[in-house]
Amino acid sequence: MLIVENVVKAFGSLVVLDGVSLTVKPGEVVTILGSSGSGKSTLIRCINGIEKLDAGRITVDDFDVTKPRELAEARKRSGTVFQLFNLYPHMTALSNITLAPIEVLKRPRAEAEAEARALLASVGLEDKVDVYPAQLSGGQRQRVGICRALAMKPRYLLLDEVTSALDPEMTSEVLDILAKLARDGTTMVFVTHEIEFARRISDRIVFLEKGKLITNLPTAEFFSAAGGLALPRVAQFLSKMQKA
Amino acid sequence: MRYTDFTPYDLVLLAQGLGVTLWVFLVTTAIGVTIGLVWGIVRFYRVPVLTPVISFVSEFLKNSPVLVQLFLVFFGVPGLLHVDMSPILAATITLSANTAAFIYVIVVSAIESVGRDQIEAARAFGLTRWQVLRHIIAPQAVAFSAGPLTALLVNQLQVTSLISVIGVMDLAKIGANLNLRTLKPFLVWTAVGALYYVSAKLIALIGARIEARLRAYAAFRGL
Repeated sequence: MLIVENVVKAFGSLVVLDGVSLTVKPGEVVTILGSSGSGKSTLIRCINGIEKLDAGRITVDDFDVTKPRELAEARKRSGTVFQLFNLYPHMTALSNITLAPIEVLKRPRAEAEAEARALLASVGLEDKVDVYPAQLSGGQRQRVGICRALAMKPRYLLLDEVTSALDPEMTSEVLDILAKLARDGTTMVFVTHEIEFARRISDRIVFLEKGKLITNLPTAEFFSAAGGLALPRVAQFLSKMQKA
Repeated sequence: MRYTDFTPYDLVLLAQGLGVTLWVFLVTTAIGVTIGLVWGIVRFYRVPVLTPVISFVSEFLKNSPVLVQLFLVFFGVPGLLHVDMSPILAATITLSANTAAFIYVIVVSAIESVGRDQIEAARAFGLTRWQVLRHIIAPQAVAFSAGPLTALLVNQLQVTSLISVIGVMDLAKIGANLNLRTLKPFLVWTAVGALYYVSAKLIALIGARIEARLRAYAAFRGL
């Protein structure tokens, strides 16, 4: 279980997360919606320990990310895919994927490489094994980014606006892979602006507004007139996004 | 009577001088790079007390003339600490420290030039600070610093000529002696200059080769 309890995070005087609580059960796909600056990415960055919390607690399978000793264990359980890919430019696609399994999980190199090849093949990149990120398209880079996260066999896959930097064609390359992962029962925390896609794959949708979590509903209810749409802010957000 | 013609033995002397210059250059570069690197790593870990001390020492070494530093070590230190100081030891200490100060600057900027986003990704996947330094930062920082490092070393080779002032028999000192004997400054200094030039060119060439290889991953292969 991934538990976020009353998390507060501020950058200087700007409060980005203001008492956010959220629980993600194994097998669930939870989508986080909200306009830019609402704190979605920061929430992901708190879960994987990149940002330190100012208050509250986050536990990943009972490992507390606020405790330095438990953070390492918590990090082994989550895998992050980043908006701007964040690949290691000096490493081939294969090495990008095998670095953490070899260094952090202490997996034998041959085993890690065999798995990485299989992962690349599963996203249609079997011929890009020895290619550097600079030689890949955006969609291909993000597919490598997904493989890199999956290679850690994470219990929780954290997706931070993974298609925001991609054109529609590349976006669909990436979303197809995520849809497959969702069908296979991968637990995901999914920050996105792809509302229609989120509606198809999510079990639950939460909405962040100025650092506060204003609603947390099952998908169907979120999109129903009596549920999420009853909240003016959510209705306004959805109608704007659907027009765009 | 005074013998003012060139002799074949002058070539041997020049070769010896070049040998001393290159030896001092290589030794002080090795020591300077090692120290500068350690300083850079200390700063990367933001070690308290040590980091500001290193910054201060580096600033001092960068912002005072090498010749003054050389005199300070050769004339000043022995008087102060009552120790013996040979010219070659003073030269080695001064040039090593001076090189270290500039290497430190290169190392710091090379580390900072590696994108934060990749470092965050590696940390999020559970790599330790040391693993990030070793696998993510170091390979890229080395590639970034190859250019500035080559430029620095070419310069440091020329700077070695200052040690002739305290009596080290390097290429410049041999040139000075030869000049005094033959009274043919134009010929002597042209020859000495050419030897420095060839050595510097060699360093630049090797540096460019290494840089090209290190940056292969980022090479533009389009169009």
